[in-house]
Amino acid sequence: MNGQYASLLIAIPLLSAFFVPLIKGLGKRAIKSYVLMITAIQTGIAAWVFKEVYSTGKPIIVIAGGWKPPVGINLYIGYFAALFILIVAVVSFLMAVFNFKAVTIEPIDKYAMLFLLLMLGATGMIATGDIFNLFVFMEITAITAYALTAYNKTGEAAEASLKYMILGGIGSSFFLIGVALIYGATGTLNMAQIAQLAGHINPTVAQVGLALIIFGLAVEAELFPLNAWAPDAYQAAPHPVTAMFSAFVVKAGLYAMARVLYLMSSVGTWHNVLKLLVVMATLTVVVAEFSALRQRNVKRMIAYSSISQVGLIALAFALGTQAGVDAGVFQMVNHAIIKVLLFLGVGYVAVQLGGADIENFRGLGRKMPATAFGITIGAMAAVGVPLFNIFWSKLRIILATLQVGYTWAAFLVLAASVVEAVYYFRLVHAIWFEGEGERVGESVPLVIIMIALAILVIAIGIYPNYAWSISQKAGADIFNVAQYIKNVPLMGVGA
Amino acid sequence: MISVYYFGSIALVLIGLYGVLVKKNVLKMLIGLSIMETGVNLLLISIGYIYGRSAPILSEGIGPNQAVDPIPQALVLTAIVIGVATTAMALSVAIILYQRYGTLNVEEIRRLRG
Amino acid sequence: MVSILKRGLAIIILLVIGYWLAQGLSGVPFGQDKMLVGQYYLNHVKQQTGAVNAVTAVVVNYRGFDTLGEVTVLFIASTGVGALLWGKNRKRTARTEGSVVLTTGTRLLVPFVILFGAYIFIHGHLTPGGGFPGGATIATAFLLLYMAFTMYEIPYKAFEKTEGIVGMGYVVVGLIGLAIGGYFLFDWIWQTWGWGHNNIGRLFSGGFIPVIYTIIGIKVGTELSGIIDNMLKEEVKE
Repeated sequence: MNGQYASLLIAIPLLSAFFVPLIKGLGKRAIKSYVLMITAIQTGIAAWVFKEVYSTGKPIIVIAGGWKPPVGINLYIGYFAALFILIVAVVSFLMAVFNFKAVTIEPIDKYAMLFLLLMLGATGMIATGDIFNLFVFMEITAITAYALTAYNKTGEAAEASLKYMILGGIGSSFFLIGVALIYGATGTLNMAQIAQLAGHINPTVAQVGLALIIFGLAVEAELFPLNAWAPDAYQAAPHPVTAMFSAFVVKAGLYAMARVLYLMSSVGTWHNVLKLLVVMATLTVVVAEFSALRQRNVKRMIAYSSISQVGLIALAFALGTQAGVDAGVFQMVNHAIIKVLLFLGVGYVAVQLGGADIENFRGLGRKMPATAFGITIGAMAAVGVPLFNIFWSKLRIILATLQVGYTWAAFLVLAASVVEAVYYFRLVHAIWFEGEGERVGESVPLVIIMIALAILVIAIGIYPNYAWSISQKAGADIFNVAQYIKNVPLMGVGA
Repeated sequence: MISVYYFGSIALVLIGLYGVLVKKNVLKMLIGLSIMETGVNLLLISIGYIYGRSAPILSEGIGPNQAVDPIPQALVLTAIVIGVATTAMALSVAIILYQRYGTLNVEEIRRLRG
Repeated sequence: MVSILKRGLAIIILLVIGYWLAQGLSGVPFGQDKMLVGQYYLNHVKQQTGAVNAVTAVVVNYRGFDTLGEVTVLFIASTGVGALLWGKNRKRTARTEGSVVLTTGTRLLVPFVILFGAYIFIHGHLTPGGGFPGGATIATAFLLLYMAFTMYEIPYKAFEKTEGIVGMGYVVVGLIGLAIGGYFLFDWIWQTWGWGHNNIGRLFSGGFIPVIYTIIGIKVGTELSGIIDNMLKEEVKE
């Protein structure tokens, strides 16, 4: 098949979301099955794209409308995008299974549309090769996320959504000002051409524009001053949506940030922006870890832990070295796996026992042994115990940090792991050694998913080389801008 | 010295941001956000402006060298629609907030939740 | 006291941001020709797309992918508003009927407002305007009806279905492009079939731009009317 068919990754979710109003009369179960089917198809296409990109070693460039970049918009599906589009599709598929248990609030048809469009938005953000198109997909993701955050229609949910919206609105305005500045300086919106011209533009304009774009993306990427919405939204959103937020929405923001950052790496004042990002990232880690310690609600606690790990990824990206980017991508993959596992487990407990409060987790080992097992594996992995997957990516991040000479940052990662260990082991202790309880029935498909994810966690933990080599390729895709420019078939407009 | 249009758009962005940061009423905060968006749109349009040229509609004697840059105008069209969508979502969230708490004052909403 | 402090702090932050933005903008000269890709569009727009209005050509054809996203954003807004304001038994609760001027004016104007909206989106490739303003104009016709008559309701189920169908229509137009020309959102009407090449500057030209703008116009009109409908209705307890 022709590479242009990768545009189906965008077309299929859109088409199927528009189709939902026509089948809304068929009932809840039918709509949920429909979503499951579409996500399965999406996974199939994503797997084909992944295979194509990794076996040929060449990125797929989708050219919309047949206009060669920079005249038209192109999608760039290289090593990184192929890997993460697959992760987005797989996670959506798993959460579509979880939807059957977790989402009962009406109107399901609207939920289904928003669910599919959230997947679409993240896919687009990861795939696009045009900076304004990135903005459009970012807004698709963000507006869907606002709606899904408030979907439960409680006061807390509405409040969380409002917080998210206000920060997101400020962020998107800043992003657009940044785009305007960069457009004014280069006359183009295509990422590859911007990278080509970046060295020649006025360094002040480039610095201000880049900082504004980073600032705008920091809302989606949950970096410190702009992540106040995240814990509230994670707690209030429907459980499958929380897992999606943590597994790929934030990742799409982080990726976009890293991509734009490295595109501009030939700008003279680039290192100032890196320093700004290092400070933001470390503050994110510290603030989130200490907030997590105080939480009584397990879902919120894991939300804070997710934010702190996202801070680690941002730190790795902000180092400005190949090793750092590789480690960051590796951490992104691992983090996506364990956070899906944890949020799935915790969400399922909340559905079955009526709430994610720590009280409900006492004696979980007796009430829901399989789920308890899944959460335990996830918790151990999140802390960074050896022989679990996060151990390796944290190690890589520490090594990369030491290489650049940020000893304090490496120390910080270790300290964060200690804090993380405290609250995760408190949770594990509550699950296995406290409380009593009757056995509660567990759903077979969800147990299968949790066990499969747990096996994946341990498999990567014991044999990290394969995942690491994929992450290295994906990392090089972000870091090696010269190759990126060469891969995009720019037609000679202007430059 | 920066141009009047740049100055105006920065001023609009800052006025909007002031509204978002300081005002306590949810609706006023949302109006602030809209003002910010307007400022950004004005900025985009003024970046595309070129002295002495007319709108990029190439009929009746306007050639390719007598028109301003069409791209920022296309971007603004998109940005406006996105702004409308955000505002609509925000207003419906405000409706829910009012139904649940009976107020739109942010500080009181925070107090009510406790 | 606290609020004065807060305001002061906010103003200081704003001044810093403003200074910083001004510094960035001073490197982008105002009113000078900075076009790169823009000039390419202006030079080739007539032959390549058949549209006279370069902005429209950029929006629908060259950067059509953005517009697909934009349509999606509006769809999300209408879906999201519908999801958040959902209720089992939602009705209009307005009591006051519009004044004589309003009701008479509405009766007279509604068809013309809709006609004007349709005119705007059909002529998007020739004149300023297009699907979004046209659709918004159509929605104002429904808003007028809502204001004038307390009992009026749009057929929202039909509107919802229309919304979905025309949305699919847009994607299908793109997919036909993929099948015929090999690229998603390829303008097959202008580039493969070559329709309207002698007609530049008149209505039957512009390739698929009028088709897409008609789709967008209908979609935006139904979506905005749907949002109005959702926001005006309230849950009624029997």
